[in-house]
Amino acid sequence: MEPFDELVFVLGGLPATLAISVLSFLLGFIIGVPLAFIRTYATRPFQVIVDGYEKVLRGIPEIVIMLFLYFGVGGLPAVGQVFNDPFFSATFALGLRSGANQSQVFRGAIRAIGEEQMLSARSIGLTQIQAIRYVIVPQTLIVAAPGLGSEYALLVKDSAYAFILGVVEMMRRADTLRKITYDMVYPYAIAAFLYILITFPLATYLDTWGSRKKKELGL
Amino acid sequence: MDVVLECRNLWKIYGKVVALRDVSLEIRKGDIKLVFGPSGSGKSTLARCLGMLTTPTKGDVFLTGERLTAEGVDLNKARARMGFVFQHIWLFHHLTAVGNVELALRHVLRMPETDARTKALEALREVKMDEWADHYPAQLSGGQQQRVGIARALARDPEIIILDEPTSALDPELTGEVIDSLRDLAALGTTMLVISHEMTFAREVATEMVFIDEGMIMERGHPEHFFTEPSNDRTRRFMARLIKRTTRE
Repeated sequence: MEPFDELVFVLGGLPATLAISVLSFLLGFIIGVPLAFIRTYATRPFQVIVDGYEKVLRGIPEIVIMLFLYFGVGGLPAVGQVFNDPFFSATFALGLRSGANQSQVFRGAIRAIGEEQMLSARSIGLTQIQAIRYVIVPQTLIVAAPGLGSEYALLVKDSAYAFILGVVEMMRRADTLRKITYDMVYPYAIAAFLYILITFPLATYLDTWGSRKKKELGL
Repeated sequence: MDVVLECRNLWKIYGKVVALRDVSLEIRKGDIKLVFGPSGSGKSTLARCLGMLTTPTKGDVFLTGERLTAEGVDLNKARARMGFVFQHIWLFHHLTAVGNVELALRHVLRMPETDARTKALEALREVKMDEWADHYPAQLSGGQQQRVGIARALARDPEIIILDEPTSALDPELTGEVIDSLRDLAALGTTMLVISHEMTFAREVATEMVFIDEGMIMERGHPEHFFTEPSNDRTRRFMARLIKRTTRE
């Protein structure tokens, strides 16, 4: 195999890597945003539940969550069928933890925006839900952008764990290449290079965009 | 007759601190009530209780006869009928001047987009900020921001506007333009409750001045009464200090 062909071979895992990363990011977003608002505005019992969720999921190694979902939940009747799929379990496991992480990112952003914006929004007659939707969320997204960039980078990197469940993503392809070529360096170097290539630009962009916007708007 | 906003025997207690004790006040249509007093006297708390942004501990608030402190009242609807201007302005950072003004028109009054825009620009024109409609708050001076804040409170044609020290967070050279906007509103017969220490403005437009200290109404009356013969000792001392400060400036 020529070096270029080897690169193409590892690149064959890119779609799966990106799919796991992006889908788990979205799942984390869908979980994390409501949790952050519950943690900020809901009554004490709900706050405690969210806090527990965050602590548990952030306290377990990602690989343990993944294997637990795939083998543990995957072994159950009915729901098991869904979790028996390595791609699904890997994505879901990453998404669950990302929800806990993103909840913290958004909570910090909501706190940074402050109680004043909420009071100001309520003073013009908006309901609490409307105030969240039209005033707090748009500002939260800007303040949270740099943190979301880091979270995305983390997911891309941790998507490599999916290879243990047998998902054919970049890490899997690199490992297979190592087995075929007996080259212990080049295949992993390719993988490393590609991981940097897909994390760095977006994470950096979100960081600079968020910081610039924050400054412009005086947030 | 024609009482727009009223509070009866209002108390607000934060833990062990009594911010308001037994305050009763009524604002009639066309009134310009000027509330003043030392810092920590309970002025802001009174404004927020009247605007139902804070729930009073005891006592009642009425908006055109409707008891807002009753169970099950839709406070969002009530707040939509009042305008509120904050000391620290608090515009929505992510929206332009016109975006700030039209938000409530769109989502509280549910006006169609073009009508809301027209109405919002009208409100901005009233405070001479229509030329700045597309600027974000961060691109405006403090005085300009506060005028947008007034337009935001004004645009819904509220029955009363409550202004909580609208100029005290501004640099002295910027208070003039905000006071001018308030003068224009007064000339139009807008019902207002203004917390302010701008004594020249007070003397010129207030229909009644209310002096608050330690959470109580110490003295109230026509501006001339305060400027010539305040009866309460504490009022007299406070007025003397304010007037001295104003002449120095």
